[in-house]
Amino acid sequence: MSHPVKIDVTINGQRVERTLEPRTTLAEFLRNDLGMFGTKISCEMQVCGVCTVLIDGAPVSSCTTLAADADGREVRTIEGLAQSGELHPLQQAFIDEFALQCGYCTPGFIMMAVALLEENPAPTRDEVVHHLEGNICRCTGYRPIIDAVLKAAERGPN
Amino acid sequence: MPSLPEFELHRPETLDEAVGLLSPDDLPFMGGTELLLAMRQRLLRPRSLVDLKGIVELGTTNVSETEVSFGSAVTHRRLVADAAVGAALPILTQVLNNVGNRRVQTSGTPVGNLCFAEPKSDVIPLLIALGASVDLRGADGGRTAAVEDFVVGPYATTKLPDELVVSVRIPLVAGRSEVYLKLQTMERPTVGVAAVRWGGVDRVVVGASGIVPVVAEAPSGRIDPVAVAGQIEPLDDLTGSAQYKRMVTGVFVRRALAQLEDSE
Repeated sequence: MSHPVKIDVTINGQRVERTLEPRTTLAEFLRNDLGMFGTKISCEMQVCGVCTVLIDGAPVSSCTTLAADADGREVRTIEGLAQSGELHPLQQAFIDEFALQCGYCTPGFIMMAVALLEENPAPTRDEVVHHLEGNICRCTGYRPIIDAVLKAAERGPN
Repeated sequence: MPSLPEFELHRPETLDEAVGLLSPDDLPFMGGTELLLAMRQRLLRPRSLVDLKGIVELGTTNVSETEVSFGSAVTHRRLVADAAVGAALPILTQVLNNVGNRRVQTSGTPVGNLCFAEPKSDVIPLLIALGASVDLRGADGGRTAAVEDFVVGPYATTKLPDELVVSVRIPLVAGRSEVYLKLQTMERPTVGVAAVRWGGVDRVVVGASGIVPVVAEAPSGRIDPVAVAGQIEPLDDLTGSAQYKRMVTGVFVRRALAQLEDSE
């Protein structure tokens, strides 16, 4: 048994302290320890993007990031977006633009898009496409997803 | 059920401490964009990971009149966002902004990419074309190696198990034309071509389509794209058949050389 590591991390504004096995991934920590199932797991190879969360505002693949690497940092997940029952503008735009069908890839796409719009509030279509290149959707198609991100950008922050 | 095999995690704060921990079973760890994947596949089963993220001197980037250098804990994204790097060496910014995807760029590092000697690397052909070198630190002291000599095969470098790449240094050459072109439809490139022209000499480095980078150098305008394509060692894989890779290598070398011509 390996020596456990202590982590002290802020998740969607709430401070969480835990002692974990070093091999625990951030996705496993969120889903199995904290019961936060909004973050999905699929390819486990940093390719598909469904596990995307933000660490200090930057998108990472939580399936292949150690929970220990979030120590002392701020993690944001899909569960943290809606405020007081109000959907985040990106969540609303995904609904308005029919940017999801099965919805499995949606939390990843939305978290990627949150990172983009916080860094670049008025991206061009090409910038949105480039930013989302590493996320895979297998049923809706990419056009409504890109339209939703542009729509949210147009409407501005909530 | 945890998806990774068991390991110990060390988080040293100094370079000496980190180097002292390294062994064939105790591996340096940064973003994990390649290492953790290989561990999940059980291709690697290290006893421990030596995390480099807490070592301040490995996280620095320097731009001088003569070179751009960065430490092994500097991520792709940090370099892309660095305006001084972009002004001094725009080709590096361009290439790193298109490595993997945005999440890989957030976590991964050019040095990690280099140390893995991933055959489908964008970083390696570019660094070879630019004449970059690496500074290594081991238990017995330090050494410097040209990237061209450091990478010796697919997933193979001259780095010893108790050595750590501390930094990469890329010389800045006034008046050098620099081009990088790639063909990529999925997560990894089919072919990447780095080409530079300086002092009447063209230098082309082909990555991804063969199992090791191929370097060609000749007086300006004298490199034959078909001959370069003939030198690669392609394998059939998801990025294309060997025959297709040879063909598109010729096309991309020709286009890269044409861009060098246009940039003059």
